[in-house]
Amino acid sequence: MQGFAVALQPANLLWCLVGVVLGTVVGILPGLGPPATIAMLLPLTFLMNPAGAMIMLAGIYYGAKYGGSTTSILLNVPGESASVVTCLDGYPMALQGRAGAALGIAAIASFIAGTVGVLGLMLVAPPLAKIALSFSSPEYFALMALGLAMVVLLAGRSMMKALLAMLVGLWIAGIGTDPFSTTSRFTFGRMELLSGVDFVVVAIGVFAIGEVLANMEAREETQLLPVPKGLRNLLPTVQDLKDCRFAFANGSVVGFLIGVLPGAGSTIASFISYGLEKAVSRRRDRFGTGVVEGVAAPEGANNSETGGALVPLLTLGIPGSGTTAVLLAALVLWGFKPGPLFIPENPALFWGLVASMYIGNVMLLVLNLPLVPVFAQVLRAPVFVLYPVIFGISIVGVYSTSGSLFDVALLAAFGLLGYVMRKLDYPAAPLILGLVLGAAMERALRQSLMMSEGSLSILVARPISAVMLSLALLILLIPFFTKVNAWRLRALGS
Amino acid sequence: MAFAGSLAEMAPAQGFQPTRPIEVVVHTGPGGGSDLLARAVALMVEREKLLPVRMQVANKTGGGGAVAAAYLAEKRGDQNTIGFFTGVWLTSPLTSKEATISLRDLTPIARLVLEPAVIAVKADAPYKTLADFVAAAKQNPAQLKQSGGSITSRDNVVRQLLQKHTGARWAFISFPGGGERMAALLGGHVNMMVIEPAEAGEHIRAGNIRVLAQVSDRRLPGFPEVPTLKEAGFNLPAVPQVRGVVAPPGIPKENVAYWEDVFLKLTRSASWRKFLDDNQFEDGYQNAAELAKFYDAFTARMRDILEDAGIKTVR
Repeated sequence: MQGFAVALQPANLLWCLVGVVLGTVVGILPGLGPPATIAMLLPLTFLMNPAGAMIMLAGIYYGAKYGGSTTSILLNVPGESASVVTCLDGYPMALQGRAGAALGIAAIASFIAGTVGVLGLMLVAPPLAKIALSFSSPEYFALMALGLAMVVLLAGRSMMKALLAMLVGLWIAGIGTDPFSTTSRFTFGRMELLSGVDFVVVAIGVFAIGEVLANMEAREETQLLPVPKGLRNLLPTVQDLKDCRFAFANGSVVGFLIGVLPGAGSTIASFISYGLEKAVSRRRDRFGTGVVEGVAAPEGANNSETGGALVPLLTLGIPGSGTTAVLLAALVLWGFKPGPLFIPENPALFWGLVASMYIGNVMLLVLNLPLVPVFAQVLRAPVFVLYPVIFGISIVGVYSTSGSLFDVALLAAFGLLGYVMRKLDYPAAPLILGLVLGAAMERALRQSLMMSEGSLSILVARPISAVMLSLALLILLIPFFTKVNAWRLRALGS
Repeated sequence: MAFAGSLAEMAPAQGFQPTRPIEVVVHTGPGGGSDLLARAVALMVEREKLLPVRMQVANKTGGGGAVAAAYLAEKRGDQNTIGFFTGVWLTSPLTSKEATISLRDLTPIARLVLEPAVIAVKADAPYKTLADFVAAAKQNPAQLKQSGGSITSRDNVVRQLLQKHTGARWAFISFPGGGERMAALLGGHVNMMVIEPAEAGEHIRAGNIRVLAQVSDRRLPGFPEVPTLKEAGFNLPAVPQVRGVVAPPGIPKENVAYWEDVFLKLTRSASWRKFLDDNQFEDGYQNAAELAKFYDAFTARMRDILEDAGIKTVR
């Protein structure tokens, strides 16, 4: 209640609104992400009181997660890394004229999961942070392996092609500087590759540019995408909401729990939640063709992840991602001492922040739902307008992240790769999965081996890690079970 | 000529004034050490009105400083760009073939900060002193673990020096993010870490960790009870993390003088004093000429340490 007293002060309400609006905008625009935005705004925050400033910066953080889905769904351009998975079913929905439903479900899932994430932060933060500490490199490796096992769920018709695409993704993740010895790998003597290949470049190239290139040869240039008329047809149906019941819960819980782990991140949360959704779904074979749960689960996960990620930050002073690192920096610059005593010593700030996040999530829902029909109109533009716009947004997005023309050239290269993959029927999602998990997985494995002096047994000797690795194995066996089942049914039929 | 020289000395700010916002290049992402320092300096410079224009931080991450250094080198002659370096800008070119730009190829301006460190263990660890830890490491060779940054980081340098000095051996687990290092210590996955005093302070207050020794020549104000390495019986150089300012190559001498003057004024200001105290940093101010000499000594020492550690140096 003390928190609401802080959060409901008119000035703080205003900062909350400013934050979530800015966040939505940052999320919609590919490229410029929340860490850079928050860092740019830091000097301004010294003119504000810390509670208002913290409320605003946090608003940018979770607001961006709402906006991120917009370009994923409409244009197949992931607005940020956590919304790549949203492309998988969101964009096919848009192609079928269900962009409005996809955007609406994304907003509703974001609201539900975002609120659950705040609830988690409020109720279980300190004990959960302690449990999260029992995770170390072997457990992170197992978690990444679990994520990588999702490849069998992201595969199209050919498992072999999916695995090959994943290996390419893992290889791309290896480009750059060795995280331990700082020697360079696969950089071909190029200074620009020392920092590795930016995930955003690959994702936008393979998804957006590849898609446009493939469509350019297939479609008449004046063809319009089907966008239904009437407000009712632009919002999710009751059936959509029913279909998403499990996805809402799945996204909320998976996102929050993975968020609490300082070494995981929202992209991994969205992949795992998508995989889980598909694994338990009765219409598993239709994922990737535009099912609404495929949008709800990852969008929910990347929103409740923000609540989770604030747990180690506020209870231990340990940031797990770029954005939380900047928030930590902000707290230090304002004169706070983030650490284990931060919450007990600054209860008004903490509870004010928590209360503002409830309010902010409501604001975001109210703000985003009316925007859905507006955004859906984008697809009314004929493709000869739409495609150049997608190219433009992609190039500006990539250039604004790094300011490097080399990255724009890389974008073109990955666009071509995406085109070729589409022509040869290689799925793009496993490549992205390998790329997302590759670097973290390598780090975790090598750290584990440093801990155990080179013995792999450390991965199965620790219970949490062993359980997750067994789960990964189980998931890898799903296609096998499906085959056996199909064979059994055929045998029964004859 | 002599007359012109003395005039320039009297009024170094006369010749050059920045005309557009200053781009400050750092090699860490938002929230990293250099990024934080640059943003704090930008605020203080604004507050103390030391520059007629604003400072904008540009994050050029990757390659342990190599990307940022190369970016500065490309800006040859640019009068509105400076960079904040750390020790890794000197060590990365030693281990990475692609990191072709060393601090020597840029224009030195000033050294600003020396960051001391403390050696910490978890509060429930059996080690009460650094000698206890070393003795335990000797009894169980390569069983104890230390969490830290990259192999060329100060954390590992301290470990290498201690190992060489005592003959003990323990493992070094490298975590690229500072948060993960601390999480590994608090979770009991590693036994020891070298940590910045300000970050350690909060965990000590909360009773989570204990400090065994400080990597500093003098006892830090925040840790009056904790012995320095020398006091604890380890006669080792206190390897500080060093931070300072450089400019692109090929800028006029008067610009160097201008920047030296700005940063000298900054380091004499009250806001700077408070900043150092808050973070328990040490004032490490050196002017451009002194800084150039420092490069050579630092690089030579790092080369020895890296080679001792069995890390291949490429130049």
